[in-house]
Amino acid sequence: MDVSRPGKGRLRVAVTGASGDYGRLLLSRLEQDADVESILVLDVARPEGEKIEFHRVDLTRYDAESELTDALTERPVDALYHLAFLFGPIQNGSLAHELEVIGTMNVLTAAGRSRLPRLVVPSLTAVYGARGNNPALLREGSPLQGCPHSRFVTDKVEVESQVRAFRDRHPDMRVLVLRFAPVLGPSVDNPATRLLRNAVVPTLMGFDPLWQGLHEEDAARALHLALRAETSGEFNVVGRGVMPLSGLIQQAGARPLPLPGPLFRAALHTLDVVGAGTLPVALLDYIHYSWVADGERAESALGFIPLHHVRDAAAALKRS
Amino acid sequence: MAKGVLGNDPFKRGAASRPSDSSEPSTPEKKPAKDKAGTGGKASARKAGAPKAGGKAASTKSRKAEGPKAPTKARGGKTTATERRPKHAAVPVETAGAAAQGGEEAALPLREPAATLDARAPVNDAGPLTEQQREVEHALTEALASEAAEASAAAAVEEALGPEAGQDAEVERLMATELATELAEEAVEALLERGPPSEPSEQERELAVSVATQVADTAARAAAGEERTGEAARDVTTEDTGTQEELAIGVVMAEEEEEEDTTAVEPEVELPDVTRDEFPPGRRGPLSLVPPPSFEDGGAREPFPPDAGRSGPEAIRPLAERAVAALSLARDIAGQALASESLARAMLAVNGLKDMVLAGLGTGGGENLDEYGKDPALVERLEPVLEFLYSQYWRVSVQGVVHVPQGAVILVANHSGALPYDGLVMSMALTRERPDLREPRWLVEDQIFHAPMVGTLFNRLGAVRACPENALRLLDEHRPLVVFPEGYQALSKPFGERYRLKRFGRGGFVKLALRTGAPIVPVAIVGAEETSPLLGRIPASFLGLPYVPLTPLGPLPLPAKWSIRFGEPIGVEDFPPEAADDLGEVQRLTERTRESIQGMLQSLLRERRSVFAG
Repeated sequence: MDVSRPGKGRLRVAVTGASGDYGRLLLSRLEQDADVESILVLDVARPEGEKIEFHRVDLTRYDAESELTDALTERPVDALYHLAFLFGPIQNGSLAHELEVIGTMNVLTAAGRSRLPRLVVPSLTAVYGARGNNPALLREGSPLQGCPHSRFVTDKVEVESQVRAFRDRHPDMRVLVLRFAPVLGPSVDNPATRLLRNAVVPTLMGFDPLWQGLHEEDAARALHLALRAETSGEFNVVGRGVMPLSGLIQQAGARPLPLPGPLFRAALHTLDVVGAGTLPVALLDYIHYSWVADGERAESALGFIPLHHVRDAAAALKRS
Repeated sequence: MAKGVLGNDPFKRGAASRPSDSSEPSTPEKKPAKDKAGTGGKASARKAGAPKAGGKAASTKSRKAEGPKAPTKARGGKTTATERRPKHAAVPVETAGAAAQGGEEAALPLREPAATLDARAPVNDAGPLTEQQREVEHALTEALASEAAEASAAAAVEEALGPEAGQDAEVERLMATELATELAEEAVEALLERGPPSEPSEQERELAVSVATQVADTAARAAAGEERTGEAARDVTTEDTGTQEELAIGVVMAEEEEEEDTTAVEPEVELPDVTRDEFPPGRRGPLSLVPPPSFEDGGAREPFPPDAGRSGPEAIRPLAERAVAALSLARDIAGQALASESLARAMLAVNGLKDMVLAGLGTGGGENLDEYGKDPALVERLEPVLEFLYSQYWRVSVQGVVHVPQGAVILVANHSGALPYDGLVMSMALTRERPDLREPRWLVEDQIFHAPMVGTLFNRLGAVRACPENALRLLDEHRPLVVFPEGYQALSKPFGERYRLKRFGRGGFVKLALRTGAPIVPVAIVGAEETSPLLGRIPASFLGLPYVPLTPLGPLPLPAKWSIRFGEPIGVEDFPPEAADDLGEVQRLTERTRESIQGMLQSLLRERRSVFAG
């Protein structure tokens, strides 16, 4: 597609969820990208920026799809980043579900109708699920086992299946799904950073799974790279190296507190029932078994080579 | 040992010195004296502790840093003593007897309050103790510190004691002889401690006495250098005012090194000590000064105080005694050095084990793990333990390791023992015997891999969960891959069925070999069964485990001797990769491997005469 040729310049990029962590990281890079002519922001809030064209769209509304289609067809865009996902603490589960699943459905429908040349959707390596029978390195083809206890991850898995179906229906479009390892950095807020920002992080005694982490700068770079990559499909975007959870916690300036499994489970469920749960029960899987994704494909096809080691990403968390 | 000597001596000598007044040397008396001195405070106690600690530290590996300092300290102390000594001596000379004491006290106002009973008491504490420290360190660092050095140090100590000794004229001679013996027998430190009671008034007498004793000592000890000291001492005796000269001479005698070091080192070393003592600044000067001067002057005097302390009936002991003493000291030091080295090793091992436990608990941290979870840093820290297990505890003998080809290869071994040490030992054997190969990994079955602690720990040590993806990836990296196709069954079989191979899974390793073309090397391991025999199973479903094995020593292995035999590789180059789908072919190859291993096992068992002796 001519769109993806860098020499052409004058790229027009549309972004949903520009006020989220991913949107913020990406917008600052797009602003500095000389090839990007304008950024069409489809969101409920208007971000700052010179190239910004703001079009207010509430993805959770029933008429979001037509609004999106209008906005995208009025002036064709070269790429759409669908970044409207929640990462903060989810108080309202149904709202999150609406945004993730229904919002994505709207975006995909609009994208199909406006014949977008390129769609980029971020996802998580957590969709593979942390299971005892995972191989040491999860490749993109591994089944998405998700995490039955976590609405957050379950929604993501559903989004991915939607996107895959969409890609099958539109083979001429470039649809990139970036599966990010936990994004760590001073300015991001997601379940992993919230976990690591605690002074004491409970862990399962006797288990120390391998975690990956992605520095926020690397995440921004990967998103930006997706704008021009001549490829399609899923990509694991992970930082350099792996660390055991305890090491990650220590790097982040916290202390691991190993609790015996049964006790931990009971405590978590109690907290959850009481409603004071600061730690999602779903986390149990991820602090039990390793979930290490293989970033080889992103390197060869996307050209993404992480600059930051997990260690530095976690340490950046501490400095903030 | 040196520590012990030091510790004992001070008491003895202190007792001796004190008793000198009472004419009976006894250890108990020394203590009270110390306590009195302690009026100033805990300084004495502290000091006593400090020197010991210093000695220990010096003995252990940690002294690297301290080592160099210590000698300098000692020297510095000595030199300072020598330099300052003159003042001290001058004061006593001018004033007479008790008057002299008073004069000193006046000169050193700070002293007075603390030392109500004896002005000297505080001085002694600070001086002798610090010297002890120095002495210990000195001795340790310089190994068999030259006899001359010892003599000088001893002399310093004795100086302090000197005054007391001076009381009895006759005793002086006896004292001198004793000094000689003491010097020979004990380390310098002990001598130092005696120093505490030093009275200016008596110093003069002491000087004379010490001169005589020194002459004897010097003669006994060695040749020319000592003569000088004797002369110097004589000079001193003749001329009271000549203390300075004496000092200078003494310094020369003692050792040139001391002089050199003292200039630079003195301030650093001494001040901190003083501050620790909690003595007021005014006191510090005298305190620190007194002991050191004792060194130089002591060279001349020393003999006396010790003599006074001990009413030694014997005359100067012969050279032989001293030589023996020097030898024993040398032996002690050597012993200490050895002990410290083994101690250091033990400490390393303990640290490694601690890290291991932490890693098992899941708080080990670690930054440079590879993607399979192996922590090279942890393995390195555990190396002392692993090395001990491998070469001393299990005495692993390896045969036919040359059969292992370069590159990707599948090593198929029998699994055995309730606890799967065999994978670890296999990887250790390969890295040790075939450093030219890439780092091997071994596959473990899910049940172990997901057990709390054990699984985590094995993962950190290099175990990888057995699954086709991992195996393919490892072979792609051209690593030797150790697999135990019997898997979990082999671990859970009762001891009575040891070394009887179980079914070889579904032939996964053969399919792997056929797909990748990696040769199969059969391996027989004997000894693992007896290392952790399965006596029973404790149900432990609440831990997520099917059972917890009941073994004789719990998680600890028994010292059975291990033998590992590598067989001829079974090449699969004649088979196309598609053969992996031919179950019959897979079955034949699996059976061939199994028979090869069983055969090697039988022959290894026949050759084995004893389970533990090999």
